[in-house]
Amino acid sequence: MAHDDHSAHHVNYLAVFVALCVFTALSVIFDLVSFSNHAITIVLVLAVAVAKALCVMMFFMHLKFEGNWKYVLLAPTTILAIGLPLALVPDIGVAYYTPLAPQAEWKAEMDSLHDSHGQSAGHSDHTGHVEEQAEVGHSDESGDGADRHEESHEAAPAEKAE
Amino acid sequence: MGIPIPNSKLGLWLFLGTEIMFFTAFIGAYIVLRIGSPGWPTDPKDTHILVLMGGINTFVLIVSSYFVVVAHEAMAKRDFSRARRYLTYTMGLAFVFLGIKSIEYYGKISHDILPSHIAETPTQAINKVDRELEQVVRQRFAVYTDAEAIDVAQPDDLATVSAQLDVFAKSEGGGDDAKSAIHDVALYRKWQNLHQHIVANVSLEKVPVATGPGYLAAREALSEGESLPALEYAEVKAELARLKSDTNYGGFVSAGVLDPHPVLYGNLFASIYFLMTGFHAIHVIVGMLLFARPLLQGNNLNEEWTDWVENSGLYWHFVDLVWIFLFPLLYIA
Repeated sequence: MAHDDHSAHHVNYLAVFVALCVFTALSVIFDLVSFSNHAITIVLVLAVAVAKALCVMMFFMHLKFEGNWKYVLLAPTTILAIGLPLALVPDIGVAYYTPLAPQAEWKAEMDSLHDSHGQSAGHSDHTGHVEEQAEVGHSDESGDGADRHEESHEAAPAEKAE
Repeated sequence: MGIPIPNSKLGLWLFLGTEIMFFTAFIGAYIVLRIGSPGWPTDPKDTHILVLMGGINTFVLIVSSYFVVVAHEAMAKRDFSRARRYLTYTMGLAFVFLGIKSIEYYGKISHDILPSHIAETPTQAINKVDRELEQVVRQRFAVYTDAEAIDVAQPDDLATVSAQLDVFAKSEGGGDDAKSAIHDVALYRKWQNLHQHIVANVSLEKVPVATGPGYLAAREALSEGESLPALEYAEVKAELARLKSDTNYGGFVSAGVLDPHPVLYGNLFASIYFLMTGFHAIHVIVGMLLFARPLLQGNNLNEEWTDWVENSGLYWHFVDLVWIFLFPLLYIA
């Protein structure tokens, strides 16, 4: 039977397993190390995810040892799976329209809340940055960093107001 | 001859092809929402994402994937007791995964991080406090109306119940009920005052009363273009903190009203989080059912089940694969 043929390939499953564990530890480490740009973290952890996926597919799912039928079966779905996000790029990468989501207006209220709470000088350029984000629509990574920073002030005023 | 694999395996791989599209659609939608929404919540304080829990679950699934491979190898070598043992381990790890997932879900639900429940601005957060506090008052009043301690025609009308309750509280022979009614009427008045300030949008501290002749006179006295000081988010937070620290009704307020926490795009985040992790969890449960069948054979497990174990194993690896992408996308990115 077919599966008997596969057993002839002696894969060291334990080694694959250890590699997967190392990769998982790596992505947690990348999350803990705070890079200046959050985008670096995202790229790194997604690269690790791709490496892990390849390990699982090639060895655990035996695709490395299967016949050419694997290409016939998986090429169409792979092309469509890659094509879908690419087809969405005009929507997210090339924001050719003015965002009409109510959150675009709500963000001003949220930012004014943060501004009234966070007193440090580092925020002075934030409002300008928001406008820039609304226009570009996809440069929110550094904005996230600023949000994170400001959010940490949020808990304090409640006690102060007491 | 056609493709040199069993029909069942061909069918399973075709099914996995459709599954790839299924999850790609979700991931594509998530990417659009995430990148197209400036200010998307990433702080664990906002999202209640537990990176450690997600990391442990990633590890749990990888270990279980390894066990499935070992089980299939044992099946091929006709070592059925070893296969059964490793399938049992896999099943146990699937339960661990779902257990950790439930802890995460419980944390989100208890913080009301649910689609359409999240306030996205300070104004919405103030309104949420107003609604939740009203709910607490209703529950307190229901204690008396349900027990028929007081007789009111419209138990839904808080003002009427409050008036009746006030009379009841001051009456003789009400006992402990009458004593607690005093506090509940006091809480009602606190909520009513807050509610009136929210409706009128005037400052809690600078405008003592937001209704009645005094308030109307103050508004009349304003000259053209002037307005009374507006209600501020910090005032509501402070008022709620005061209510929660009250010795008489603070417990009820703390139990029924969450601290206001506006999260921009929080509802979209909650939707996509529960959609993706929920469908993944359903796949985990299906995998458990697939492994349950050979396990139910007990000592009768034989070589006829080899293909079954291989195919369920392939499905399980796919479930692992999906999580390998969901973890960085939802927990880290």
